[in-house]
This record gives sequence, structure tokens and C-alpha cells, in this order.
Amino acid sequence: MPALRQLAALQKEEQALQFLRISGPQLQPVLASLGLDLNAGWQQAAGTVAHSVRTEVDRLLGIEIASLMNTRLTLSFFPAMAGGRQAPASARQELLALFQRLASQPVSRGALAGSLAATRADLTDKYISQAWDRKKYIYVEVTRVQRLALPPADLAGLLRFALMIRPAAYLYMTIGAASDKDAGFTPLQEKYLQKITPALSALLPSFPSSLLMAGLRSTLPYPGAGNVEAVARLAAILALRGRTLAPGMVVDRGADGPDMSWFNVNRKNARWHSLDPRMLDELYTIAAENNW
Amino acid sequence: MRKIGEILETVVVVAILLVLVHTFLEDYSSLAGWDVNARKWIIWAGLGFDLFFTIEFLTRMYLALSNREGIVYFFQQRGWIDFLASVPLLLFNSLPNTLALLAGTGLLTGLGSFLNVLKVIKAVRIARILRLMRIVKLFRRIRYVRSPMAQKHIAVITTICVSILVFWSVGAAALQAVGVFPGLEASYAGGQTARARAITDGDAGTPALFGRAAAMAAIDPTVLLVRHQGGSAVWSRYDGAYYRAHFLAGDYAYYTSNGMEVYLDERPVVGAAAREGIVFFFAVVLVVLGILFLYAPRFALGISDPIHIMQRGMSESAYNLEVKIPPQRADEDVFALAALYNSVFLPLKDRESAGKPSEDSALTIDEIKDLVDKG
Repeated sequence: MPALRQLAALQKEEQALQFLRISGPQLQPVLASLGLDLNAGWQQAAGTVAHSVRTEVDRLLGIEIASLMNTRLTLSFFPAMAGGRQAPASARQELLALFQRLASQPVSRGALAGSLAATRADLTDKYISQAWDRKKYIYVEVTRVQRLALPPADLAGLLRFALMIRPAAYLYMTIGAASDKDAGFTPLQEKYLQKITPALSALLPSFPSSLLMAGLRSTLPYPGAGNVEAVARLAAILALRGRTLAPGMVVDRGADGPDMSWFNVNRKNARWHSLDPRMLDELYTIAAENNW
Repeated sequence: MRKIGEILETVVVVAILLVLVHTFLEDYSSLAGWDVNARKWIIWAGLGFDLFFTIEFLTRMYLALSNREGIVYFFQQRGWIDFLASVPLLLFNSLPNTLALLAGTGLLTGLGSFLNVLKVIKAVRIARILRLMRIVKLFRRIRYVRSPMAQKHIAVITTICVSILVFWSVGAAALQAVGVFPGLEASYAGGQTARARAITDGDAGTPALFGRAAAMAAIDPTVLLVRHQGGSAVWSRYDGAYYRAHFLAGDYAYYTSNGMEVYLDERPVVGAAAREGIVFFFAVVLVVLGILFLYAPRFALGISDPIHIMQRGMSESAYNLEVKIPPQRADEDVFALAALYNSVFLPLKDRESAGKPSEDSALTIDEIKDLVDKG
């Protein structure tokens, strides 16, 4: 599928299901050519196709997550965040099991799409290294306010981890009959997080709660009642960015780059999406300076 | 059928490119004094090109008339350019040139009068200028920019510029031809006529006349040959082989009086005209290149590109790229509109689309079939 080749598995699924939804009755000849029974209405046949799509995407997702675990989720930040102890051998298995579980629930699956896309695109490395060179707002927030003394590479790793844990906050949420594409991105309340944290800690016993909260608290609104940490605020922005990432997109002549455009639009919508506007400002400046 | 059409369009584009080279070579060969055989090939090629474009025009006109769109084709789809760049050229340029070539001694002999000959040369030259209209034909057929608006706009600008240059040149040449503004050629022709008349003036058929004619011809470098009417030479500057190798119809003029014929060298005039032709050719080419490489990119960057981006942003739910606004052009209307698009429309679109399923997909029916087959 040339149109989808560079997309992450869940983005492919979103495109395919969207196509089924918007093409509707025009698909009847195709559905018939696939040998599907149209007597019960094209919707039922389309449902069968959607099921096949999900099965195929599940297979691709498994490969994608395994590759991500091997190449990008290094857990090198673990000792600094867990009082000096190394990540136990079971940590990676726990993470893998969590991701599989996240993919099986509709809302967390939607949330996972943005996180996976952002992680695959290495947004964390790109922006952390630049922010460290600049030593402006993001650097100050992470090192002075949150007091994280991690080298940029480990901080990028922690941010990737937070991005991937973030969908777990939506694991126990259900949606109604109507599909809502924002279901995995709506801000949550602190009380709700406190309620679900014990269950999530049970799923990831090897990880200290401080690490879990780095991802879970990225779902809290900014500015909100509590003080959301810098890493969580960054993860919230990058997860939302990941939702609309289109790898390999050809930028039209005369247009700003995809990152630059997205950060600029969301600087204006920061309050709407409950994101940190000053972080968006700095990310926009970085994207503009690098023509991203 | 569509493929055949595309192939024919490509053939036409290649022919136009070749004919532009031919137009240059036609003048350059005269100026550089190329061998007669090479210049003969150029004349034959000119006939071939003019025939090709005449057939192309007649075919397009016939098809347009068959579809009752003759007026639309001729006036709105610039069929008049196809016409000007074909039929007059065939009738007034390449056909007379080729007939002169076939006649051997040339076009000029048959007309019997030096001044008439000059008028024909000028008519041919006026027609030749029309060849440059083919640059407009070329412009119309090459898809050099993505935007149809930019394509049409640039084509209109090119048509106006080239047409003004060509019509101005045709008009000036026509006014010279009818003697309203006599040019250098008329003055040269006047001098030649006076010389020829002086050479042939005297008692017809006497040895004294022949002797005086030969003496006068020898000191005038523009005189090539003096001979008895239809008979032997009285005096000749070169031998027959030289004339055959270096002179084509149009390179010499012919004057007859008092039982004598005088052949005069027209190459200085032909060379001057070729020089003018080359200068004019490059003027038109430079104007077109200027439009193509200086104006078209500016138009695209300042107008059609921002409009294209805004049009995509408004019609595609997932397209959210902003228009890049150069600070020095921010006050231009299109960029002022783009600023509103960036700062108002896109943020509103982002909010509006939150929580709603997208309205379009990157997939096609064939791709979904492929995906399902794998599943």
C-alpha cells in the first residue's frame, strides 16, 4: 500500500477504517469481489473487512512494538529514577505485556497510536538535544524545576518511556457506540489517576511509581489544579503531535514544515488542548530554526 | 486514444523545439556563409516544418469545427497562433524559397525586375518573423508549473509579450516594404539599380558598350556578372563553379536593360537581414526565458503556491501545513490572506476536527482490497 507504507501500524488501521467509514456503499462492488455476502447489508460486510484489517494490524503492531523494545526503549534512565538500582530482567516483559493489553482496548489503542508514531519518529531525540543546546525554558523546567539530572540521551529515553506509558491512563476507559478519535487524548483528572495507579502498578511491578507517573501525569490538563512535571508536559505535547504525524509527507513548495506548522497552530490552541504554551513556543522555534 | 493524443502532443513539442533551432540556423547559415548544400537542406527542412504545422493547424481546426467549437478553438484556445505560425509561413516563406530552389537560377530571374524582387524578399522576411510565434505554442504545451492558474497566467503574459514583439516587427517590416519608412535595404537597392543602369547605358550591342560595362563592373565589387541577354558573358567576377557553390536564390539580384543582363551581389543585404533576424530571435527567446525563469517562479511563490496550500488546507481534513510568509512580502494581498489562514483558519480547523472522525483517507479501493487479501 504505497499511501500507507511509511505510517505506523495503528495509523494504517486508522486510515483503513476511516476509508471504510467514508466510502460506504461505493465499496459494495469491491466487497462483492472479495466474496463477501452483501445480503445482510454492506455494513456487515464492511465489518468483516474491518475485522480483517484489525487482525493484520495486530500482527504488524506486534512486530512494531518488538522492534521498538529492542531499539528505542533502552531503560538507560532507570537507575537514576529508581534510586540507583538497575532495571530487573522482567521489566521488559512487563512492558511488552502492557503494550499488548493497551492495544486490545479501543481507547488505549487510540492513545497508543499517537505515542507509537511519536516514538518511531524519534521526536524526543530531535527536540531534547536542541532544547539542551538552547538551555531555555524546556531545559530550565526539566533540570531546575523538576530537578532531573539526566544526560540528554537518557532524558530522551525517559521521555520515550513516558510517551509509551501514557496510553495506560486510558486503559480502563470505555467509549460509547460513537467512535471518538479524541478519546485517547482528552485530559484526565488527578483523582482518576490516583484511582487507577494501583492497578497499573500491579501490571508493572518492576517500575517505581515515579516512573509510571511520568507517563500517566502527561494526561493531566495544563494549567491544572496540580503542578504537572516538565517531562509529563513534554510527553503530552509529543503524544498529540504523534497523532497527526505523517512520515514521508511531501511538503508543498511555499509551505512551512509539518512540525513548524503543527507547533504554531497548537501555540494558539494550547489552552484548548490543555498544553504548556511556553513549551510549544520553544518547540516551534526549534522546528522553525531547523526547517522541520 | 488518449495515449495517441499524448504521443502526438509530444511530437508537436519536439517539432517546435527543432523549428526554433531551425529558425536560428536559417539566419546563421546566411550570416556565416555556409555551403550551398547545407543551406539547401535548411530550406527543405523549413518546408517540412511549415507543412507539418499547417497540417496540425488544419487538423485541429477541422476537429474543432466538427465539434462546433471552431470559434472557441481559434479565439479562446489560441488557434490564431497555430494559424499565424503555419499557413502564412508555408505560403509566403517556405514555398517560394523551395520553388526558387527547384528553379535552379532562382526566384529572382522569373520576376524580371529588381524592385519586385526586393518586395518579395521583404514579404518572405515578414512571414519569417511569424515563426517566433511558435515559442508561444511551445509554452502552451509544456506543463512547467503545477497550478493551472499559473500555467494560464504565464501563457497569457508570454502570448502578449511575444505577439507585441512579433507584430511590431512585422508592422515595421511591412512599412519598410511599402516604402513608408525606407530602410537600409531600399537605399542599397537604389544604389544597385543606379549602378546597373549606368553599366547598361549606351549604344546597344556595340563593342564600346561592352568594354565600358566590363571596366565599370570590374571596379564595383557588388557586380557579379555582365552578359548579353540570354547569351555569353561580357565580364564575370567568378567562374561558374564558384557561383554554384556559393549562391542561392536570394543571394543575388538581376537587372536587364538595353540587351544586357547584370547580376548583382545581394549577400551583404542578406547578411544584414540575417543579423537582424538573429538579434530579434534572441530578443524574443530572452523575453520568454525571462518570463519563464524570473516572472513565473515569482508568480508561483507569491500567488499560486500559497493559494494551492490554502485550497488543500480547506478541502483536506488532515492537511494542516501553514503558508510560509516571506516578511518582505507580508503586505501583499495573498500573503495577508495567508496570514489569516495560518492564524485563524488552521487553529479553528484544529479545534473543529477535535473529537470528530476525519472526512478523508489516504487509501484507495485497490489498496484496501490488497490489505484484506493479505489478512
